[in-house]
Amino acid sequence: MALNIIVCAKQVVDPETPASAFRIDPDTKQVVPAQGIPPVVNGFDENAVEAALQIKEASSDATITVLSVGSGFVMDVMKKPLSMGADQLILVDDPAVGNLDAFGTATALAEAIRKIGEYDLILCGRQASDWDNAMVPLGIAEILGLPCITIAQKIEVSDDGVTVHKALSDGYEVVKAELPAVVTITNELGEPRYPTLRGIMTASRKTPTVWDASEVGLSHDQLSHKLDLTELYIPVSDTECEFIEGEDDADSGRLLALKLREARLI
Amino acid sequence: MLDYGQVLDLLTDDERQVQSTARDFLDAEAMPGITDAWEKGEFPRDLIPKLGEMGYLGANLPSEYGTAGVNNMSYGLLMYELERIDSGLRSFASVQGALVMYPIYSYGSEEQKQNYLPKMASGEMIGCFGLTEHEGGSDPGAMKATARKDGESYVLNGSKMWITNGNIADVALVWAKDDGGVVCGFLVPTDTPGFVANEIKHKLSMRASVTSELVMDDCRIPASQMLPDVRGLRGPLSCLTQARYGIAWGALGALEAVYEDALAFSKTRSTFGKPIASRQLVQTKFVDMVSDHTRGMLLAWRLAILKDQGKLNYSLVSLAKRDNVRAALLAARSAREILGGSGIVLDHPSIRHMLNLETVDTYEGTHDIHTLILGRDITGENALE
Ligand SMILES: Cc1cc2nc3c(=O)[nH]c(=O)nc-3n(C[C@H](O)[C@H](O)[C@H](O)COP(=O)(O)OP(=O)(O)OC[C@H]3O[C@@H](n4cnc5c(N)ncnc54)[C@H](O)[C@@H]3O)c2cc1C
Repeated sequence: MALNIIVCAKQVVDPETPASAFRIDPDTKQVVPAQGIPPVVNGFDENAVEAALQIKEASSDATITVLSVGSGFVMDVMKKPLSMGADQLILVDDPAVGNLDAFGTATALAEAIRKIGEYDLILCGRQASDWDNAMVPLGIAEILGLPCITIAQKIEVSDDGVTVHKALSDGYEVVKAELPAVVTITNELGEPRYPTLRGIMTASRKTPTVWDASEVGLSHDQLSHKLDLTELYIPVSDTECEFIEGEDDADSGRLLALKLREARLI
Repeated sequence: MLDYGQVLDLLTDDERQVQSTARDFLDAEAMPGITDAWEKGEFPRDLIPKLGEMGYLGANLPSEYGTAGVNNMSYGLLMYELERIDSGLRSFASVQGALVMYPIYSYGSEEQKQNYLPKMASGEMIGCFGLTEHEGGSDPGAMKATARKDGESYVLNGSKMWITNGNIADVALVWAKDDGGVVCGFLVPTDTPGFVANEIKHKLSMRASVTSELVMDDCRIPASQMLPDVRGLRGPLSCLTQARYGIAWGALGALEAVYEDALAFSKTRSTFGKPIASRQLVQTKFVDMVSDHTRGMLLAWRLAILKDQGKLNYSLVSLAKRDNVRAALLAARSAREILGGSGIVLDHPSIRHMLNLETVDTYEGTHDIHTLILGRDITGENALE
């Protein structure tokens, strides 16, 4: 069955950036990219690419389009999904969409998806590691009028739709939807594959499609912030270390448990 | 990646992606078990099919025989990342790719290429390269191994020493003298009667790599196993130029590993109320490491461009191998020193890299032999022979 899968992927600050290199600009309320630490594709979005590739391997006739909205794209970073095996990459690259709130991002992605036209399944990461909002996929589904299943740890596509194992804290739920649908993917799905050299070479022959905001038909109004970020700061964390001494290991353990209970941690 | 001179900016998107992917992949798959493998004196064999799957074996050979066909910049970056984990891992890839697959590709018959290259690229088949003998490895022309023609066969006799991968190899590329005393290359399946590999134990260097003695006692192979398109020492020496190119990159990976570890340590280790990173004597060591790494990267980058243009001279490869390896060795010793007592245990990578680099400084032409090669090139006077 021919299947058009769109995977939304975001370029984010590397979450492995050491705390010592992490800087913010409180005036513009933005993170200042650390010198020498390139950004990465959001980890959950890589899981979504992996999910798409697994679906493609199972159904053979699928096309995977990776879509991203932003500005200042680093091409060797954004081409990673292509190197993993996705078929094409579309970037909505415009300063106007560089610093949107979740609503603006969902709008921009939804408009770009409309412009792409053909889609059966839209996959997103469960959340992006920069702001951890987890709002964009729901926004896309709302704008496009599609069902949305979140936090998929397993996903299968068949003629009558998509079946998802939705991760819960104590197990999973099996949820089905008709296509087209939006599904968000979590890391329990499994490690995203590494791009092989062959994959990187194949991707190097593909040129990403780049659209600006006007080509997608986005107006200034549509992108205005619905949420205002009032303050951005790095929290100061104090650590205090207390040694708990007991008569023996078992006693120390008991006293530790008491302390933790007092602190309402257990 | 340690990149003080912003060499990464000079690379293409794909080359940067090759580097960052190799780093992620090797950090996840190879780094966790390497210290243990080194301590046990074992090569981490479970990595071989994964390296094949990723395309890391013989990666810079044209893609027609199942190899990845990346350029020499990407290949160099791969060697860098492999040796950042351990010189044993890079040695494995160098031997497989530069010392066995490269000569089969360059000098082999079509049948040999078909038989060996795809399986070696996937890691299904492992190769070793037998040039050095017990006596004076620096003078390979003095080799004693012979290959006597007998009808449609060659009968090999002699032994080879310090051969990487010897005991895990399926095929040994053995260099031996034919009836006319000319050095030729022979692809010897390691299950051929009369062929024995003896593993060299008690090594305190390259412990995560297999090193062997090869003994050939009337070892008879079909004449079609000879590499048809090369005669004389030019054959093995051309392979060494390929491998030395990879070492020039690889050593910098080891340098980065020891530098990063010692730097992190120095920031948290305090004496007399201050972190040791704040001490001038300690800073001098780091500055030397970063200077050497930066110079080495620029040189390696230049080498890659010349190699891709087909303009790379073997003496410049000698210079890069000699300088970058010695720089890495000195950096590993400095890093070990900065770590104090902690530097002598395997919890930190510096002593492992330091001991490995003693081999890297010696094999593929010792530091001094490269000095003599360069001296000869510069002055026109031969102090080597
Ligand atoms: C772990 C390991 C793996 C190896 N893997 C392989 C392999 O896969 N295949 C292979 O064929 N070989 C391999 N080698 C062998 C390596 O290439 C040789 O050890 C190296 O070439 C030096 O040879 P040698 O040990 O016989 O020392 P020698 O050549 O005997 O040299 C001894 C010393 O004399 C110095 N010297 C020699 N000649 C001169 C001269 N003319 N003037 C001044 N000084 C001189 C040298 O610099 C050195 O310091 C490996 C070695 C090691 C340790």
